[in-house]
Order: sequence, then structure tokens, then C-alpha cells
Amino acid sequence: MDGKVKKQKPHQQKHSGPKAEKKKLKKQNGSTEEDERKRNPKAFAVQSAVRMAKTFHRAQDIKTKKHHVPVVDRTPLEPPPIVIVVVGPPKVGKSTLIRCLIKNFTRQKLTDICGPVTIVSGKKRRLTFMECNNDINSMIDLAKVADLVLMLIDASFGFEMETFEFLNICQVHGFPRIMGVLTHLDAFKNNKTLRKTKKNLKHRFWTEVYQGAKLFYLSGMVYGEYQNQEVKNLGRFISVMKFRPLVWQTSHPYVLADRIEDLTDPERLRTDPKCDRTVSLYGYLRGTHLKNKGQVHIPGVGDFQMSDVNFLPDPCPLPGTQKKRALNEKERLLYAPMAGVGGVVYDKDAVYIDLPANHVKQLQEEVRPTTELVQSLIETHVTLDAKMAASKVSLFSGSAGLDPTDISEQSGVQEGLREIHVWDPHTQTQRRKVVFTGDEEEENDVSGSSSDEDDDGSDSDQENQEEDDDLSTFLKEARAKSEKATRGSTPPVKKPKLEEMKGEKEVVTEAPAFADSEDELEKSEADSEGEGEAERAGDSGHCSKESEEDSEEEEEDGDDESMEEEIGADDSDEEEEQGTLKWKEGLQQKASAAFLRHQEAAPNLRKLVYGSVVEAEDSEEEEEEELGGLFRVNRPQKSKRVQANALDCSHFNPDISHNWDLEEMLNSIRDCFVTGQWEEGQDAATLLKEDEELYGDFEDLETGKVHKGVTGEQDQAEKSESDEADDEDQQVKMDDEEVQKNKRLEKKRRLKERFDTEYDDGDATYFDDLKEEMQKQAELNRAEFEDMDDESRVQYEGFRPGMYVRLEISSLPCEFVTNFDPHYPIIIGGLGTSEGNVGYLQMRLKKHRWYERILKTRDPLILSLGWRRFQTIPLYHIEDHNGRHRLLKYTPQHMHCGASIWGPITPQGTGFLAVQSVSGVKANFRIAATGVVLDLDKSVTIVKKLKLIGYPYKIFQNTCFIKGMFNTVLEVAKFEGASIRTVSGIRGQIKKALSTPPGAFRATFEDRLLMSDIVFLRSWYPVSIPQLYNPITSLLLPVGQKDMWSGMRTVGQLKHDLGVRNKPSIDSLYKPITRAPRHFNPLHIPKELQKALPFKSKPKLLQPKGKVPRDLKRASVIREPHERKVAELLRALSTVHHHKKKVAQRAHHAKHKEFLQQKEKDEEAKMKRMKDARKKLYRIMGQKDQKKQRSSLKGTPQDD
Amino acid sequence: MASHGLTYEGCNFLRQRLVLSTLSGKRVKIKNIRSKDDEPGLRDFEASFIRLLDKVTNGSTIEINQTGTVLVYQPGLLYGGTVEHDCNPQRSVGYYLEALLMLGPFMKSPLKATLRGVTNDLTDPTVDLLKSTALPVMKKFGIDGEGFDIKVRTSWYSRGMAPGGGGEVVFTCPVRKTVRPVQLTDPGKIKRIRGVAYSVRVSPQMGNRIVESARGILNQFLPDIYIYTDHMKGANSGKSPGFGLTLVAETLNGCFLSAEMSSTPQGQGDPILPEDLGRNCAKLLLEEIYRGGCVDSSNQSLALLLMTLGQQDVSKVLLGPLSPYTIEFLRHIRDFFQIMFKIEVQKPLEDERKGGDKVLMTCVGVGYSNISKTLK
Repeated sequence: MDGKVKKQKPHQQKHSGPKAEKKKLKKQNGSTEEDERKRNPKAFAVQSAVRMAKTFHRAQDIKTKKHHVPVVDRTPLEPPPIVIVVVGPPKVGKSTLIRCLIKNFTRQKLTDICGPVTIVSGKKRRLTFMECNNDINSMIDLAKVADLVLMLIDASFGFEMETFEFLNICQVHGFPRIMGVLTHLDAFKNNKTLRKTKKNLKHRFWTEVYQGAKLFYLSGMVYGEYQNQEVKNLGRFISVMKFRPLVWQTSHPYVLADRIEDLTDPERLRTDPKCDRTVSLYGYLRGTHLKNKGQVHIPGVGDFQMSDVNFLPDPCPLPGTQKKRALNEKERLLYAPMAGVGGVVYDKDAVYIDLPANHVKQLQEEVRPTTELVQSLIETHVTLDAKMAASKVSLFSGSAGLDPTDISEQSGVQEGLREIHVWDPHTQTQRRKVVFTGDEEEENDVSGSSSDEDDDGSDSDQENQEEDDDLSTFLKEARAKSEKATRGSTPPVKKPKLEEMKGEKEVVTEAPAFADSEDELEKSEADSEGEGEAERAGDSGHCSKESEEDSEEEEEDGDDESMEEEIGADDSDEEEEQGTLKWKEGLQQKASAAFLRHQEAAPNLRKLVYGSVVEAEDSEEEEEEELGGLFRVNRPQKSKRVQANALDCSHFNPDISHNWDLEEMLNSIRDCFVTGQWEEGQDAATLLKEDEELYGDFEDLETGKVHKGVTGEQDQAEKSESDEADDEDQQVKMDDEEVQKNKRLEKKRRLKERFDTEYDDGDATYFDDLKEEMQKQAELNRAEFEDMDDESRVQYEGFRPGMYVRLEISSLPCEFVTNFDPHYPIIIGGLGTSEGNVGYLQMRLKKHRWYERILKTRDPLILSLGWRRFQTIPLYHIEDHNGRHRLLKYTPQHMHCGASIWGPITPQGTGFLAVQSVSGVKANFRIAATGVVLDLDKSVTIVKKLKLIGYPYKIFQNTCFIKGMFNTVLEVAKFEGASIRTVSGIRGQIKKALSTPPGAFRATFEDRLLMSDIVFLRSWYPVSIPQLYNPITSLLLPVGQKDMWSGMRTVGQLKHDLGVRNKPSIDSLYKPITRAPRHFNPLHIPKELQKALPFKSKPKLLQPKGKVPRDLKRASVIREPHERKVAELLRALSTVHHHKKKVAQRAHHAKHKEFLQQKEKDEEAKMKRMKDARKKLYRIMGQKDQKKQRSSLKGTPQDD
Repeated sequence: MASHGLTYEGCNFLRQRLVLSTLSGKRVKIKNIRSKDDEPGLRDFEASFIRLLDKVTNGSTIEINQTGTVLVYQPGLLYGGTVEHDCNPQRSVGYYLEALLMLGPFMKSPLKATLRGVTNDLTDPTVDLLKSTALPVMKKFGIDGEGFDIKVRTSWYSRGMAPGGGGEVVFTCPVRKTVRPVQLTDPGKIKRIRGVAYSVRVSPQMGNRIVESARGILNQFLPDIYIYTDHMKGANSGKSPGFGLTLVAETLNGCFLSAEMSSTPQGQGDPILPEDLGRNCAKLLLEEIYRGGCVDSSNQSLALLLMTLGQQDVSKVLLGPLSPYTIEFLRHIRDFFQIMFKIEVQKPLEDERKGGDKVLMTCVGVGYSNISKTLK
């Protein structure tokens, strides 16, 4: 059938004839618009000026609306990977989507998605995927770091509450890009319902995000995956997406940790398993520059001080800048250490190598902790040997003499290799990491260096002491070795380097890289012949940068030569990190040479300023990092002592001042004045000359003199540069063509510049100027530190975003490590200046319109503000018209109100959201309120109304003695002059206290009081805010219960939980109403008044009738039967008579009515007649009158 | 909340530490204040300074031990508003004013501080000097607007010489949310020199004598020199006699370099002739010009602070040689804000006659924003 489909006749283009001619003409003329205008000018004329003005205004409005406040572009050259958060309710297909996208970009399959997954998606873009589980904590945290949100919606079900909750969270914390993805579309069998659902969902989504927000449809699954083409389209959308910087994200550094390591001393762990842990966290730095030793907040854990930060080589680097379109297979990197895919993972003192997934069969059934970290934790105290080794190293750091390694080395008992068991979650196998115990010796043997490195005992010992991780001594060698091997080619793809040591049969994938480094190794071998210093420098490459700095400073004070080498090593840190000792030497020399150059440019001023500070810090941190006594310099300390109490004065009076009487001294500053000599480009004479050249001849209008330009043909020369000969004539002194050409070009440039400024100035708006300024600043920011090496650059501007950093935090609670779950995001958010403090915050808050209940003052509430989530007790208030903040018991229903809390200091303008609890899943909408921080203050001004009540006990005319309001005379004295009021509204004032009873006072009122009046004093009582700040520690909860955090309960909850019923006050209980019957006294009117009253109003004081006397009583008549009959008959007759009479009357009435009608008719007729007659009469009279008038006009009648 | 205090020893650079502590919100503890001295503990003027700091802030706690040798300062929020303070006459108003200049732009409400005490003395920069040099520096950072001024002359009295004092100064400063980054790399050439020769409770002739001698030296360089004489008598003249000279050189690019000198306080040290004073002050100005830079030596720290507190952009300032005070200030900035400056020495060219070495200071601001300011 398909073969027989009839092919439609293709369209045949006309090549000749009128139609073709027309088309050709059209093509030639291009746009006919011009033509139209010419042909029909009336149609394009202005019809209405008003309308035109309106359209113009509208266009301008729209144009201005598009403007944003320009911000300085601070994006780094190599931006960090874009964080894509995949959100949605459970079972909507989040993991599947991530898996499909990863497969789409990297051609690798990742079965288990835990933690962030970083991939290289294009030549200039990297992506970090993070799945957000269905926990409001995770949703809040991830909304703060997301650049792009993929919002998955189960189309077969419709929107779920989580979707809306997440959208609202996003709105509060800056709105990242949001892209909706509809899944489960294959559930619709009917095409029409599908279309309808799609449309409905789309429009609802648009109202939430913005009109026209992108909504993606993933129609169906193929073998448990989405369709390739759709995933590809989605990927394409992601990789070209643009982002607008969000305020909070661009002003704070943050790291989404993709890897963590526990560095705690195993011995301490053994003795005290609950001790605080030292943990290093790894991740890409985002946001802005991060300063070393700054304060950070880890949402879900708390605030910490970073003990150390350093940057590591990028584990997922962008491909080099080659001119090809697509990425090759090797450049499609994937980095997800929490999911067990890391390639070669660098640490400052170790290297972890991961094998490709296809090497080992996967055993998913076995339920084991899925991260290497947790596993390694379990495995740390397995063997006694390991413990022994650990204890040995810790001893080592204490004193070198007790070193058991040395002992074992001497005795030669120790074997060459040791192992650490590491659980590799990816391969689901127990893996043994190789550790070198006889390190120094072995290493030296292998690398061919003489053993004097070890002999240089004190140096290397010191270095060892610097390592806080005891394993590092061993690991670093391994690291150095493997790094060297892997360094040859930048992407650290899986390169099993240690296989021969591991004894495992693993395949070597990358031979050339190894060979490369071998070359280098040999080369450097030649250079280094037993330089002890080199080894030291090499080692210090692994230690933290800070301590490196310190030792550097020390050495500088000691001897110059070593200092230079040291710093040289420091400068070339990256290289160092890879290398063996030998190999480094060559580099070192190079680097030291470079450093010398650097030094020449900037002599010791930097040292002078910052050098001694480092020393001072050293002494403070002595306990932590003992650097060894050899290099401690006491001099600055001493001098500090001396000047510690010196005069605090900003004047700068140098000891040796110049002798300003000497002529040469005076001459040395001549050029500082306008009278001195100017620079070549600014000299008045030259400028004048150039001006003349620029503008040529001009006419002085006042004198009428015409100035000819020095170079008449200059302009011409500008137009055609070939006029060499003319120029030659004009340029008297300079014959060099090059110089001339340059000059001409310069002139041309300036002319153009001037023209540009003049020309643009007309159009240049404030907005354009601002934008240009920002642009300039951005360029300067980029250029300033560009040519510096990272090591020194980091010191000036901090770690810049895009770097892969390692943050070491020394006092994390142990639950963070033991209860670690990679499915929950670990965010390290940097805090700005004074954001680490706690204080009072005033905020504007509005109850969310979808939240069902109103919020009560003093009910604990969970806030998400800045990086933090915390529980606090807010007080709600509203501002009165006079600026008073009055306490509210409840939030208003549909209005903003103020809220004051005790919480972390956060810059004004930061948004926040509030939830009542973060535990469990509820059907209702959980976001209780949203708002913004308005003000930070250390004092609070919320007041509540307080009414003091008193009772009068003696009343004079307008004065009154009042008791019961106060208790002592002193209290009254405080309130003297205060205004008081009665319930009935009589106003008054407190005058003076009375001696007895205590607390009574005299007051005056505007009217006389009654004893029954109640007097009250209205006052405002300041309310203090409870100082509760309880950070949510959801990450410390055990695995599986992380969404069960519960903090302080509200009173209502407490009562409900404890079954406490509120005992109401007796007064507020309902009782049966018993009303005494009302008794009214009779009205008494005085006799005099009675007399004066008119009779009508006189009380009718009639005596009640007494009993009728018997004689007045009538006797009853009892009739005889005959009489009765007669009476009966008479009654009947009278009835008949009555009836007859009635009928007759009725008839008479009718007749009379008729008669009346008739009469009326007659009357009418008569009237008519009379009217007519009168009319006739009047007419005749009128005519007569007229006639008379006419005749009178004519003159006297003859006949008169 | 982790405690993140800083600890220092000795009373040296007390102002810097307290000011930076207030701005950064970090707690600071200062130990061993003159602990080995015959009179241990804080001096009166330091206590007065701390009291002033307490007046302009809200919620700060200050603990001083019994002997006054240990000071713990937990900063509050900068509040501002109208503040009156009687400064201790041991130090001049400049001592207090320098700190207020640093804090002023970051208050909750605009500051209007009335400071009474010694306006001119030998040790500290005088009020005239700060008015003519510090304010232009701050203006470059975008701290400007009406009501940004230091007024020496108020209704009844103004100048007060050491040791008696009795002067009054009003400093008003607007509030800014952020500070602009600056690029001050070219000071330009000096176009004019202005000055004030003041004298109180001495012969009015003193001023003229000072002017004469100062001009004698400066006229070799520039014709545009104008030195005002400011003689005060009666109530305006404070409590002690004295005289002095402040010289300010203004460049084409709006940078100000200054020098000043005052007579020795009555009854302390050798008296100085007005001619000598004028001459020496002029020489000091030449020295200052020799040092050069876009900011004069007494305001280096102010400029550096404002650079530090700027947006997260690169700021550059060309300075003369760093004074010890500035060097210590740089260290403190590093302690409080973790900011390091890139310090480049610019040596003058061979044939240039522009004085000595200059230092180009470059830094990236911390992105400080005024958290005290109320959002409406």
C-alpha cells in the first residue's frame, strides 16, 4: 500500500509569461513599500495628530518597560556548570529524565542518580543535574541554587500541590528559569482529551510562570526511556538557554557539594565516635568570589567557619578551544562522585581513581550504603593494623622521635604497600586503595632520586606535621605519582594508574599520557641532584595554601634564596600538584625565575604590609598547625609589643624628611604643577597644534581675520592616505614615513572619537551612559587580574566562581557524616559581612492566599530566609497612622502586615517564605506566608494596648478621687498628666497622687462623674520579641527520616498532643438567664399639678365601682310558654320586616343612582349648550369690537 | 552561631579596630591596653571615643574590665541621627571625626553630629584639613548630596585650640546603600593652592605673618595661591590661644593634597614663630606633593576603606608612600574583610620631576551594602 501512494504533482514554477515577469520585477525592486508610499501618499499621511502621539507614547512606554537596571557583568570567563534542578512529585519520571539527558549528552548510562551529576554538554557549557526529592526542605534549598528548573508534571494526573509549592518558593527566592515538562502523556488514549489537557495545563502553567513559558511534552516511553528525539530537543533547549542573574545568587558565593570526605583523625573517632568531624566538601564555586576563612551556612546543618579553602584542578573541564563543532567522545565528561562516577578524583593529599563501569558486573541487589564515604567510614576501623598506622601518624605529628614508621623502616619489617578498603558504590564492590607505607624510601628508589630527601629530616618532618590528615603522608605519594601520570592530558578520565600496586587486574587505557610524563620525569631527573629544598617545596604543594603561605613568609624572613624558590614553587602550584620531586625541579627554576621578575616589579611592599600579619596569625593558630619551631620569627612580635600602645594617629610624619631648601629637591616636584612640563600628549602647545590640524582654517569673527590651517591639504590627506608628497612638504621636521603614518592614524582616530561623542551625545540617554559605564567596569574587572596566576589571584579577589574548590570545615556535627544521604543537596552558602550575626528583623509579611488558616502571633514559624531555614517566633504588627507599630493577635486575611522576628541578619529586600512545619506530607498547601525584609534593628518598637482601670470613690463637682488603677504613689507619679476617660466618654486628666489609699489619685474631668462610672487609662506597652532562633537541622537526621524534622510546637499542637483541654474562665461560660420580674411604681402627680392640668391630662381618679345594691339590681324575667311563643312570632315578623325594608332600600338606592346619573347627563348637556351659546355671544361681541376698532382706525365715522 | 571574634593587643589603632568591627559586624577583643604602664587602661579620650561610638550605634555592647586593660566590643547596627558629643580635649575633634567619616555613610538615618572640643591641635588632622580633603575623597566614591558637610562655624563659637578646646564642629553626612568603585590613577597637575591661616586669642597680625612666609615658598611653583586669614575673637575663639596654617593643593582632576601645622599648645613645649610655622607648613605641603598620589597621606585609610566596601568590582587608587597607619589599616582590613590589596609600586620615570615613588592600590570590593538603612 505504501508503495502505491500516489505522488502529488509538484509545483511548476513559471519561467515566462506575465506572472513570471511580475515576480521578477518584484524581486528586482526589493521592497514595494517605498513605491506604495510614493504612489499613494494620502494613505500614509497623518490622519490624526492625537492618535499619532498616542501610538508614539505607547511605543515609547513599551520600549522603556523592556529596560532593566543595568548591572555590571561579573560572569567569569569560564562559568561554573549550570545547575539544573529536576523537580516534581514522586513517580513523575525525574530520574528517568536525568538519565535520558545524561545519556543524550555523554552517551553514558548512569543507573543510580544520587547527588549532583556534572556533565560537559557543549564547547562552552557544562551542566549539573540535581534531582529534588519530595521534601519541602530540599525544595527550598534547591530553589536557592537553581539556574534552571525542569518542572516535571504528570499530565495524566494534572498539577499536584508540590508543583505550586515549588513555584512559590522560586518566586520568593528570585525566579530561576523554569521549564515545564509534561510526562505520562501516553496515558491518554483519546487524542482530543490529550490536546485539551495539554492546553489546560499549559495555560495554568503560564499564569504561574509567565505568558509563553516553555512547556515541553514527553510523549511516551520506549523501553523505560523517553523518546530520543524529544530528549534531544530538550537537551538542545537547555544548552542554548540564557539566564538572567539573580540578586541573591550573584551577591553570595555558594557551592553545591558534589563530594564530601571525612578527614577526622581515626584515633579520635575510635575514642569518641560522637566527636565533631573535620570534613572537606568539594564542588564548583558559584555566585561570586569566595574569601578564605569566611563564614558559611550549610542549610540543614548550621553556620560554620571555613578552616581552609583551596582550589583543585577541574574534574570536568571544558574542552579546549579548538575550532570544531562537536565534542568528541573523550570530551563528553561525566562527573558524579556521589553516584560513584568520578574518573580520577583529586584531593589535596590523595588521588582516587575510578574504573569504568563496564569493568565490573553490577550487583544491585545487595543493599549497602551507596556512597564511598559512608562505606569508608564503616571500614575505617576494621583492622588493628590500620588503627596502628593511624595512631602512628598522629604520634608522628606530635614528635618526630617517636615515629614508628621510622622504627619500622629501620627494622625493615614493614611491607611495601598497605591498603584502605574503599567501597566503590558504582561497581558495588569493595575496593582497596593502595597506600604506601614505606613511602619516602620507595618513592625515592623508583624515581631515582637520592635518599637525602629523607635525610633532610627536619624539613620533611615539618611538612608532615602540616598535614592534618594522618593518612596523607602515605596518600600524597600515591597521589603525586598518579597525578603525574594523569596530568599529561587534561581530562581526568578513568585512568587506572595504580593497578600494578593494587595487584588487581585492570586494563591500562591511557598509555601515551604515562609515557609523556615519563619523559618529563627523566628530564627533570637530570636537573635535580639531591636538592633537599626541592622535596620540601614539592611536599608543601599538597598542604593547604594558607599554611603554604605561612611557611613562605617565614622563609623569606629567614633567607632570601630559599624564599624565592619556595614562592616559585608556590606560584607554579598546579604543576607541582602533579609532579614528582625530580620533575618539579625544572619547573621550580622556571617558576622562580618568573617569580623574580614578578618580585622586581613589586618589591617588598606587599611583604611589608601583609607579611607580618601572616606571622601574627600563625601565632594564633599555633595549636592547630604547628609549623615547627625552626622558622618562627620573633622580631615582628617584639616590635609589635613595643608599639602596641603607641599613639593612635593618622598623620604621616616621616622621620627623614627632605630638605626643601635645596634647589634640586624643589626641582624634583616641578612637574606636579600646571606650570611644570606636561606630557607629550597633553602639552598645551602640541594640543593646540593638533587642534589646528584637526579643524584646519577658521575665521576669527571679531577681527575678521582668516586663519589658514597649518596644513591646508590635511583634510585631503585624511581622505586619501596616498597623498604622501603633500604631507612630506608639510611635515618639516619629520621625514620618517612611519611616524607620519602613525600620527595620521592617531589624528584620524581622535577625529572619529570626537565626531562619535558629538554625534552620539544627541541620542545618548542616561540608560546608555549607565550601560556603558557598567561595560567599562566589567572590562576592567576582567582585565585586572587576568595575567596573574591563580594562586596569587585567589589572594586578591578570593576564589572566583567557576573554580572547583575544596572547603574544609573543622567542626561539623558527627551526624552530618554518619547520616549522610546523597539524595539530599548539600549547599555551602557564603555569608556576607555581618550576615553571621543574629538580631531583630522587621519584615513585611502576607499570609499566602492559598493557605487556609491565619497565623497567630507567638506561634513558632519556620522561615526560609537567605540561605537559612530556621524556626522562630514572629510577632505580627501593623503600623498605625501615627507610625506606631501595634501588635496584632493574628495576621490579617488578605492584607500585608508587619512581622518582627529574632533571626539572622539578612540584607533588606531579601524575600522569605514561611511554613508551619517541614515534616511529613500534607494535602494542603504548605507555604503559610511570604514577605520581604524591611529593616534590621537592635531594638524593637512594637507595642500593645494596655488599659488600666480604676473606680471613683469620691466625686466632687468635676474633680474625682479614683482608686484601684495603681498600687503605689510612685506609679501615680509616673503617670501624672496622663489623659484618662470614662466608659461613657468623659475625658479627664490625672492630677496628683493621694497619700491614702496607696495608688489613689485626684483627677479632673470635663464633666461630673457618677459613682457607677469606670475610669480607664489607655497606654501602650512595649512587647519584647522572644529570642528564639532555631536552625533546622534536617540534614543531621537519620537516613530516611530527613523529612521528619520537628521543632518547637505551637501551644495548640502541644495541647492537642498532650490532651490538655483549655479551662475556660468562669465568666465566659454560658449560664441560664434568669430575669427578675420588673416592678413599676405608680406615677405620682402632686395635687397642685393635678389641679393645674387640663382635664384631658388629669388623672381620672374614679372610685372603683362598688357593689350594686340589691335594690338597684334588676330582676330577671321568666316568660310563660305562651308569652314565649308570642315573642318568637314577633321576632320572626320583625326579621321579615327587616328583610323587606332592606330590599326596598337597596332598590331605592339603585333608582336614586340612576336618577343621579341622568341628572348629571342633563347637566352636562345643559352646560354644553350654554357654552356654545356663550361662545356664539362672545364671537359676535368680538366681531363688533373689531368692527368698532377698524372704524376708529379709519377715522370718525361719517354717520356719527 | 559560631563566634568569630578577633583579638588584638594594645590600644594602638583602637579606632581602626572599632570602626572596622562596627562595619563588619565582627566582635573584637582588645587585651593588654597599657597593661605595663604606670596608668594602665584606657585613657579618657579613648573612653570618650567609645562613648561616641555607642551614641551612633544601636545595640552594641561594650565591656571594659576593672582596670580598663581589656575591652570587648560587640558591634550593633549603625543608627545615626542627631548626635551631640563633648569630645575629650586630650585629642582634637579630628580624632573623633575621622572615625565618623568612615561610619557616616552607612548609618540608618543621616548623621548630624555636633562635636565639641579642641578643633585644632598638633597631633590629629584638624577639622579644616578634613573638610578640605576628606570630603572630596568621599565624593569620588559617590557619597555626595546636600547636607554633606563639616561646618566649623556655628552660631556661637567655633575654634578651640589645645589644651582648652571650646570649639564646635557640625558634621552632616547623607546615607548611602552602596559605594561606587573608583579608578583614581591619575592625580593630574596641581592648579591651585588654597589655605587658611587661623589665629585665636592672639594678635590678628599673626595670620598675615604666616601667610607671607608660606607664600614665599610656594610662589616658586604656582601663582594661584590664596591663603585666607581667619581671626577669631571673643566668644568664637574658644578657651586657649594659638594659631596655625592649613594648606591644600588642588589638582586638575580634583584631587586634594594637604599639609597643616599649628602652634604648640599654651604652656607645653617651645613656642613657635608664625614665620617659621608658615615656612615649615609650606615645606610640609611640598613634602606631601613629593609623595603625591590621588589621596593625601592622612586620608589614605579612608580611601582604602571605601574601596574595600565598594561593589564587587575593581577599584584603583594611586597613593603616595603608605603611612604606617595605613599599613596597619590594610592588615586590619584583611582581618575583618579578608580583602587583600594588590600593591604595585610605580617608580617615576627618569626625566619626570613628579616626586617620589607612588603606590597603586588595587582591590576588589566586598560588595558591602548598608544593612542599617530602612527599606520602605
